[in-house]
Amino acid sequence: MINLYFRKLTNILLCICLCFFMLLLTGCWDRTEINDLALVLGTGIDKTDDNKIQLSVQLSIPKAMGGTQQGTGGGGSGKPTIVKKATGSTIYDAMSRLQEKVSRKIFWGHNRVVIFGEALAKDGIRKDIDFFARHPEPRLRAYTFVSTGKAIDILEVIPELERSSAEIARELANFKIGMSVTVKDLLQMLNSGADSAALPWLEINPTEGLRVNGTAVFKKDKMKGSINDKLTRGLLWLRDDVHLATVTIEPKNTKGSISFNLLRSKTKLVPKIVDGKWQMIAKITTEDDAVENDTALNLMDPKIVKDLEKQLAQRINQRIRMTLNLVQKDMRIDVFGFGEAFHRKYPNEWEKVKGHWSEKFPEIEVKIDSKAHIRRPGMSTEPQGIPKNEVKK
Amino acid sequence: MIEKGRISAFQMAIMMYLVVVGTGIIFIPGITAKYAKQDMWLSPILASLAGILAVCTAFQLHKLYPKQTLIEYSVNVIGKIPGKVLGLIFLFFYIRMNAGGIRIYADFVAGSFFTETPLIVIISTMILVCAFAVHGGIEVVGRTSQFFIPLYVLFLLIIIILLLPDLDFKNLFPVMGNGLMPSIKGAITPQSWFAEFLLTAFLLPFLKDVNKGRKWGLISVFAIMFTFVVTNLVILFLMGSITASFTYPLLTASRYISIADFLQHLESIVMAIWVAGTFVKFSVVYYAIVLSTAQLLGLSNYRPLVFPLGFLTMLFSIWGVANETESSSYNSTIFPFFSLVVQTLIPLLLLLVAFLRKKSGRRKPN
Amino acid sequence: MIWGSILGITFVVALIILYEWPKLKQGSKKEKATVVVLTGAGWLLAVLLVFFPEMPGPTDVIKAIFQPLGRYMEK
Repeated sequence: MINLYFRKLTNILLCICLCFFMLLLTGCWDRTEINDLALVLGTGIDKTDDNKIQLSVQLSIPKAMGGTQQGTGGGGSGKPTIVKKATGSTIYDAMSRLQEKVSRKIFWGHNRVVIFGEALAKDGIRKDIDFFARHPEPRLRAYTFVSTGKAIDILEVIPELERSSAEIARELANFKIGMSVTVKDLLQMLNSGADSAALPWLEINPTEGLRVNGTAVFKKDKMKGSINDKLTRGLLWLRDDVHLATVTIEPKNTKGSISFNLLRSKTKLVPKIVDGKWQMIAKITTEDDAVENDTALNLMDPKIVKDLEKQLAQRINQRIRMTLNLVQKDMRIDVFGFGEAFHRKYPNEWEKVKGHWSEKFPEIEVKIDSKAHIRRPGMSTEPQGIPKNEVKK
Repeated sequence: MIEKGRISAFQMAIMMYLVVVGTGIIFIPGITAKYAKQDMWLSPILASLAGILAVCTAFQLHKLYPKQTLIEYSVNVIGKIPGKVLGLIFLFFYIRMNAGGIRIYADFVAGSFFTETPLIVIISTMILVCAFAVHGGIEVVGRTSQFFIPLYVLFLLIIIILLLPDLDFKNLFPVMGNGLMPSIKGAITPQSWFAEFLLTAFLLPFLKDVNKGRKWGLISVFAIMFTFVVTNLVILFLMGSITASFTYPLLTASRYISIADFLQHLESIVMAIWVAGTFVKFSVVYYAIVLSTAQLLGLSNYRPLVFPLGFLTMLFSIWGVANETESSSYNSTIFPFFSLVVQTLIPLLLLLVAFLRKKSGRRKPN
Repeated sequence: MIWGSILGITFVVALIILYEWPKLKQGSKKEKATVVVLTGAGWLLAVLLVFFPEMPGPTDVIKAIFQPLGRYMEK
């Protein structure tokens, strides 16, 4: 009898429990509805006068986002994004103040770009990067930039082609015309023994909108200077980051110029220590296609192509030398990854110079050994638009 | 016999794979990176020696005392009272280990996904589910693991393949730049995970094909070693010198995946498979705990003990561990040595004594 | 809140006993005793942990024993 009574009681209790569990099935503590979220598309961090941080975020407006996707120009639905800002002593502190102004929960999972204002970059970015690696929402894949002036101005740019200025910045980084640095890459640079970093320099042009123009060079986490677009090419060659490039050369002994489209390139940094002398040999191989030829040179002639290949390689050498002169000799900042290369090959010797690398670095002798291959002359054989007899052989 | 279900040696191998990899893959990459730096891929290879040792010890002991578990034959080897005391030590060790493991899992879930869900809810729901599996007996645990393993391996592979475009193989160098010491130090924590293969001592008596037990045990050890080496390499290639600065490098790595701006935000897959893996892990260890308790006390049925022991495990996972930092420091500095003594040295001594006894022939096996 | 936790713990413990008891009917006295002792110990420990979350436990003993070796790892 008691047994039966027990069984009944347990059954009833179990039923109650099951009903209780059903409540749990609806979701957990961390249930978040998509329409309660404000998606951060881009983040700007600036320094305020009283040494605090001004955080500005670009939030997407879901309604307008959907609208612009279909029609060109977005119809009459207005801006697809808004920019909000707040100040605080840390990023999260600023964010909590920002939250007071935003009706939805700020969500960092879709943050694509992080832009540091120039003043903040000069002051040091280390303390602000930690948030993006520690908080569970932001991703390490967000691209990082340094902007001229204030970062918030970049976010406020109304774009033409894309849906938001953050999207433009991300696409520009994706193209890899200039440096393209994710939060992960930035952390790696700051953590390497070379104590330096290089971030793409983002500029607003009143007529053209956003533009990546050069590179900001960091010593430790403080920005020390910047190099222009042209010198950035040299940096990219050495860092093996060249992906999309056109090289135009003006061949000797003839008028006009030829443009090449870079197909692929490979840079190998080979460190060497010979009799206590530190050397770096940069072996560069590129493959290019000719895309435009306004000279009278016939690109079907193997001899001419051989010659052009040599000139092309020289051109790359020049670019790299220019960059080295400024960054290695004047700035004395190792953004090329030489330190890492030496560390990998000569770990013991590296231990000894690690402490005073910035003194050792300018002394390194750099040899550039570049080879260019012109693979194809393009869709035309002889130069177009000139009589046959004027074509140079 | 207390357990009527039977599993195959292959199922045992799968169960042991998930036992080690289940929580190991959350915790091991970060900790080996901390000590071994760019040699972190060497550490699992060194650590797997502990696994091979554990498999062989368990198998030899089982050969000397067939159809008995560790708890039963330790009484036969060193006498009633010392044997029971030893059983208690094993029992305590496994309860603490399971509690520690479940704490790693819960901190991982609470820290990276469910930031507002109370820890105790994550722990207790997992234990509840495991309790049902253990209640079903060894066969149920074996079959669930068999069900999960293809998904587990497949998703792990997908994550690794999708990371390939972002890898930088230069990060591997310098190999052994600071000698062998860092990788040995990095192997100390993983060896305690590999030593969990001693759990085969609780599974071998229930095998349908005992003679294949050692073979499959060793295959499992190698599979785990391979898994750890590959994941450590992928993480190293992706993150290089900053690997050690992340709590869960593999999760961080999976969050980095972005194929053509389309295939991204895949970490929920990672979490899903890890939950499945840890579920099997806790079930197997939980089963060993329940079985040991029943055998230690000489009960004829272990099932009534499932829920009370689960409740105790839950308490142990919060008792004396105030936060994730403490849990992590316990697991990297204290637990490896605790495991070395209980899971490696004691069984070896046991084997030695058992061997000498058999040789002198004064005592016949029961 | 404290009393709420204790009530919750008691509820869980009661549930465990109620769930196991019918199956224990055929079992031996030893089994019943084990279940009651284990569950009782669990209840007591849980209640103690509610009142003294910082209570030292076996983990601290283990820590004390292996600390010298652990220090090697902290270096």
